[in-house]
Amino acid sequence: MKKLILIIIYTIFWRNFLKIIIGLKYYNQQVLRKKKQFILIANHNSHMDTMAIMSSMPSKYIHRVHPVAAEDFFGGSRFKKILMRYMVNATLIPRKRANSDEDIDPIEVMSNLLKKGRSIIIYPEGSRGVPGVMTDFKKGIGYLVKQNPTVDVIPVYLDGLHKTLPKGKNLILPYNCRIIFGDSINFDSFDLEDIIIDAEKAIHKVKSLVE
Amino acid sequence: MEKIISSIDLNAQIQWVIAIILSILVIATTTFWIWNKLKPSKLVNEMTLRTKSWWGMCFIFLFASTVNPIITYIGLAFLSFFTLREIYTLLKLRDADRSTLLVCYLSIPIQYYFAYQGWYTMFLIFIPVFMFIIIPFLLVLSGDTDDIIRSMCILPTSLMLGVFGISHLALLISFPAMNEGDISGKALLLFLIFITEANDIMQFVFGKIFGRNKILPKVSPNKTWEGFIGGVISTTIIGCFMGFLIPSLALWQLILISFCIAVLGFMGDAIISAVKRDFGVKDMGDSIPGHGGFLDRIDSLSTTSSPFFHLIYFMVIV
Repeated sequence: MKKLILIIIYTIFWRNFLKIIIGLKYYNQQVLRKKKQFILIANHNSHMDTMAIMSSMPSKYIHRVHPVAAEDFFGGSRFKKILMRYMVNATLIPRKRANSDEDIDPIEVMSNLLKKGRSIIIYPEGSRGVPGVMTDFKKGIGYLVKQNPTVDVIPVYLDGLHKTLPKGKNLILPYNCRIIFGDSINFDSFDLEDIIIDAEKAIHKVKSLVE
Repeated sequence: MEKIISSIDLNAQIQWVIAIILSILVIATTTFWIWNKLKPSKLVNEMTLRTKSWWGMCFIFLFASTVNPIITYIGLAFLSFFTLREIYTLLKLRDADRSTLLVCYLSIPIQYYFAYQGWYTMFLIFIPVFMFIIIPFLLVLSGDTDDIIRSMCILPTSLMLGVFGISHLALLISFPAMNEGDISGKALLLFLIFITEANDIMQFVFGKIFGRNKILPKVSPNKTWEGFIGGVISTTIIGCFMGFLIPSLALWQLILISFCIAVLGFMGDAIISAVKRDFGVKDMGDSIPGHGGFLDRIDSLSTTSSPFFHLIYFMVIV
């Protein structure tokens, strides 16, 4: 049932809307086809980013892909929570790491999802930030990859989507924009710092693929 | 489906044009294929890619223009929409312009609705009069006056480039007086597009073969006097041969119209070249392989279609 809702929303509605009206172009989308499980990392400037990534998922496993969202921003009300859960298939996590035992640890939530065989979409920058600018990655991606070294990490570069729906606006406008998928990252070492640097480099490399 | 197909109405002249277009494409494809086998070069590769795109564009255009008028209007409206989107992607607009942009996009269906209804006066004044007043006022309403004059000029002009000119193609089909007696809107549309595109190709070919003296050295290094003059002369000759599409025109009228299309096509090309130079890009987009964006292909059409419509109006109807 959930799968059907997601297919109707993303594979049918959003994909065509983004392609025809917004003018989004998908590059190198076939890397997703063979993968079973992955951590998808992308630069983040707009709410449209999640729509663009979800709409490019193959309908075969779209229900097993979870965008990770900040609980303080998206989990404000009960209605929002249900919407996020069923319409976006999102998993809500707190933005801060756990200080005591009672708090939920965000890394643990994501790791548990990965252990269940689910895939996740995360934005390592942490927030949407300044339009069109990629900021430094937070440490979360490092911890996550370190704990789950066998899961593929796919870098994705989103180009121009911040123009269609900038931060703080609620009018979606057509602009030609692109989503570019890269091949999964080979990490040389699983040190926290190295993982973060490698991930950043990978996204910049994807950016230069189509230019 | 049956209704759509039964409305296909091709008179003998239009069938001839379709035959001519398809044979030109076949000849071009085989020529470049043989050329590529004998002496491969970068130019031939580009030409092969361009010819391939021409096949696609011709099929879409012939399908849209002959099957059903409704499809023609929708297709042309989408062409305008894609063109506008391309312009706005390259323009660096202010955040305050966003809501006005939506109005710019909404003017497309309105303009094409006027074309569909054949409301001549409304069609003519909607963009050059109404939108030129409404858009600056909406920009004022948004409250941000920094650099506002730039947006006030750019947004209405983009509508002239992307919507006003192209929508005359739709008006040709719906305008009642253009579909009486021995002239038909479809034939006029085919004539205009055939001559405009032939002019583009001829100017390109003559420029490549004989090009020496640059006509606009600061704007476009590819445009030469030889290409321009050769293109205008050959386009005028082609126009005379294609005259069978508009039987009610005398020879001097055909020559005048083809000459005007050739010169105006060059102007449109030059205008968009200058715009691209200002943006600092080579092509407006990458939607049509080998050609660039939509505006790279229809730049000359946006300037030829409106004068063509009025020339025909004065020569045939008045």
